[in-house]
Amino acid sequence: MRKLAILALAGLVMLTAGVSYAAGPGLNNQTDCNSNHMKCREYTLNIDAPWYKVMVLLTACDIAFGKCMLGV
Amino acid sequence: MKMTKWAAAAAAILALGAVIAAAAAAATGEDIERRKAVEVAVPANESDQAVLGRPVALALDADRLYIADALDCAVKMFTKDGRFLGSLGRKGRGPGELSFPSGVTVAGGEIVVADKLNFRIQNFDGQGRTRGGFKIPFAPDRVMALGAQKLLVTANPTGRRKGERLLHVYDTAGHPLWEGLEARTSSDPVFDTFRNMIIVCPGESGDFYVIFRSGERTVLHFSGSGTLMAPIAVDERHAFKTMDMPTGRGVVRLAGFCWAAARDQALFYLSAPEALDGRDLGPGRTASVIDGQGRLQAVVELPCVVHRFLVADGRMFAIDDEGGLRIFEVGR
Repeated sequence: MRKLAILALAGLVMLTAGVSYAAGPGLNNQTDCNSNHMKCREYTLNIDAPWYKVMVLLTACDIAFGKCMLGV
Repeated sequence: MKMTKWAAAAAAILALGAVIAAAAAAATGEDIERRKAVEVAVPANESDQAVLGRPVALALDADRLYIADALDCAVKMFTKDGRFLGSLGRKGRGPGELSFPSGVTVAGGEIVVADKLNFRIQNFDGQGRTRGGFKIPFAPDRVMALGAQKLLVTANPTGRRKGERLLHVYDTAGHPLWEGLEARTSSDPVFDTFRNMIIVCPGESGDFYVIFRSGERTVLHFSGSGTLMAPIAVDERHAFKTMDMPTGRGVVRLAGFCWAAARDQALFYLSAPEALDGRDLGPGRTASVIDGQGRLQAVVELPCVVHRFLVADGRMFAIDDEGGLRIFEVGR
């Protein structure tokens, strides 16, 4: 009985993951995320700002990329 | 006899004093030649086109200075005395158009531009007419001629893939010849970005030099075919400036070595970062003159902070804090 419950739970988790993936960013969207992330980093690296500011901006680029990939 | 002993003791004390004074002078760098750069007046360029939006790279040929302006999507041309001549390219994706040009060089009489967001290298003639180019599979950062037949293109690694390379050499037709210098990777992509920031300087015969902006006190010397010829250890008197950087693994001390660099007549001009507000690092207002063996020869004091520069025949063409072109005599 416990095994069955574990299997059912695992199945539910996998189903949820599958649905989330399908509803998440498609291939084009992922390409957009990559492209935006690349542009964000390149703009940041070429403003020639003090390094602490560059560090903050690069971190913001990474956060934006993560949010884009999660579709948030 | 007694007098001789006293004289010997006095001589020994004097000699010791001289040794201590010499050591102190070496430690404080007093034996290094310090010289002030002499500014060359740049003409007031009245045209709006002459204003630099975001100047990111400079190149020279026999009589012109080229500045890649990433914001205006153009390469702006000046005389060597700073008079504006005109510009190449405009924003777009078509032939002769640019999107965030980030590098410029002159190869075989053509102006070669790293057209970053169009993922290509584009060539122009001196009148701004397009002369072809080629696509590349990454966003190019800087481009530098290695003689008339080869181009070195640098890349900023994305940090999302293993094995990314910082250096890519192509022939002028766009055939890849060599790639190398693997990007440093760790669990912290932001810290890695700093560790992978490089400056490239041309050598005399198709060879080139790579300077890491942080973390290393060495200059790497490559042949045009990609062979690492010799690392040059730079004199410790060109000191690191440090910055504490918060990372995923706690605070890491980033050792800033070089903000901008150029090479002229077998001498490197390295501008060290300058500490800002006690915790940040920004562009500096001095340039260390380093010889081919890494020895510090002189320190040039500049009248302003400089972001990027190149040096040719003892004359420095620099971008100041406001994005303006400044010209200095820095040679002896």
